Amino acid sequence: MIVDSAAAFDVRDYLRQEMMPHFLCPGCGHGIALRALLWAIHEQGIDKDTLAVVSGIGCAGRLSAYIDANTFHVTHGRPLAYATGLALARPDLHVVVITGDGDCLAIGGNHLIHACRRNLKLTCLMLNNEVYGMTGGQVSPTTSESRLTSTTPHGNAEPRFDACALAAAAGASFVGREGTRHVPKLKELIRSGLVHPGFAFVEVLSDCTEIFGRKNELGSSPEMMLRQKSELRPSAYRDTVDTPFRSNDLPTGILTKTERPEYGAAYRKAAAAQRASMAKASAAKSAAAPAKGTP
Amino acid sequence: MSAPSASRSGIDDEQLRPSATAAKAREPMNVLIVGVGGQGVIMVSKALAWLAQSKGFEVKQSEVHGMAKRGGTVFSHVRFGPQVWSPTIPKGEADILVALEWAEGLRWLPFLKPDTGIFICDTKRIVPPFACLNRRPGAPLRYSRETPAEVKAHVAEGYAIDATRMAEELGNERAANVVLIGALSTVLDFPAADWELALSAFVPKKTIAVNLDAFRLGRNWIDAARRTTTVAPEAGAPAANIPAPALVAYSVRLEITPQWCKSCDICVKLCPERCLRLNDERIVELAQPERCTGCRLCELLCPDFAIRVHLDAVANNAAAAQGATA
Repeated sequence: MIVDSAAAFDVRDYLRQEMMPHFLCPGCGHGIALRALLWAIHEQGIDKDTLAVVSGIGCAGRLSAYIDANTFHVTHGRPLAYATGLALARPDLHVVVITGDGDCLAIGGNHLIHACRRNLKLTCLMLNNEVYGMTGGQVSPTTSESRLTSTTPHGNAEPRFDACALAAAAGASFVGREGTRHVPKLKELIRSGLVHPGFAFVEVLSDCTEIFGRKNELGSSPEMMLRQKSELRPSAYRDTVDTPFRSNDLPTGILTKTERPEYGAAYRKAAAAQRASMAKASAAKSAAAPAKGTP
Repeated sequence: MSAPSASRSGIDDEQLRPSATAAKAREPMNVLIVGVGGQGVIMVSKALAWLAQSKGFEVKQSEVHGMAKRGGTVFSHVRFGPQVWSPTIPKGEADILVALEWAEGLRWLPFLKPDTGIFICDTKRIVPPFACLNRRPGAPLRYSRETPAEVKAHVAEGYAIDATRMAEELGNERAANVVLIGALSTVLDFPAADWELALSAFVPKKTIAVNLDAFRLGRNWIDAARRTTTVAPEAGAPAANIPAPALVAYSVRLEITPQWCKSCDICVKLCPERCLRLNDERIVELAQPERCTGCRLCELLCPDFAIRVHLDAVANNAAAAQGATA
């Protein structure tokens, strides 16, 4: 018998096939990240009808259009805000947010830190390709220092944003990072995020081959992918092996996992208590009113 | 029993005279300990060296362990006697070869004295990556096929112990090396109490009890094996004689959606078997179907979902294909 965990999963079952082929450039890592997400959903046994995918604007934001589930393609930077409302109103849904580095950290940075703080049960998948790909390759908050983009023709002088450190500091109870090179590992990470009872932030290091890679002369798609293999290090090795990913040291794996009260449950409990006290007050009022009127 | 006796190790004025017998008596005892990284080869040699030193012998020990990581080869030469010059044991001159892993033991057999050498070997198999070069599922491993009985026919005195399983039954698989120390202690002339003292000094405090149990178990096992004239080790040592898993007959079929392929070349360059290529229209195709192992890396790494790998059992190929399209 051949042991093959991937045999049962056909990604096409989860795609809107009439939309395919997708619009992503050749070699774009976002397609691999999408497969990992759908694989995790498949292995977790989540029904497509109970899955809601919310995404913002950008190359990553476009991915929701290809998923055969309940999908929302919303305003730039606000997928977490929409998803918060959705998850509060429909706690029976599995809400997944797909967002890009610019969408999540620049335009939607405020929404991210407050979503982390609230700890609502959500899975946020941030696809980090270090650049605004769709709009022509402008510098993004995660662009590494000295990298060339269309708005930093002499090299980026700003320091890079470490999204995982930000999310952990803002209070996200699950933070993880993985590259697109290791698809089964990425799938397992997303799967642990999906089952986590709280806000799960997963950063996927994805290659932008056509814009970022071409401008910085990082080579062809396979060369960029092999660079991930040689430069990414699991967090367990971080202290011993000091090898940078694209000139920055980014550990991978599950980086933070804590148990905190989930916001949705706490909110519903408070709302139920308030409703009960209001009902009690109105009952007392209605009981008192006829007593007054009888004499 | 060809083990060295006490008279050989004692320093005597008579023996210091340059005669052939005296020279032979002054020869050091050579113990070669081999295994793979993580098994405790160095710990065994340290305990032995410490014990020999405490008995007043001159001891030299040398080892290679740096390149081993976990699963790489590790060996340690321990030589002790009235006088030891070289720290390494020449080929064919080891009195005792203690192997913590089956294939490593076989690899070092030429170092054993052909006529009197004692071979003590765990039948535990740790298959190295080199033995798995054929990556098709179910392909035969290039691991040693010799059975303990075959090996014992070639050495003067051989013991094949399933020490790992014995240590596992005691509750700690990692005490397997101490089971072998127990076996080793029966062919050297140090008292058992001193061995136990040396062990207590070298194992972690929490595991002293289980290690002492393992030591006694190894000792008793050898005593029992000596008492029975039959080939006793076979009963407890089937591990080295596991038949190779049957080769599963299957065929690999790549289902390629050409209109989705964007010629990014990732699958072609990252295929471990290099069996894909881009055709004249820059669309991926399986160029060498016979080399494809069905590892699915191309399917997993394709950003455009253009490849789907099907592994069909050869016997019911039609049924599998039907199932895949259904």
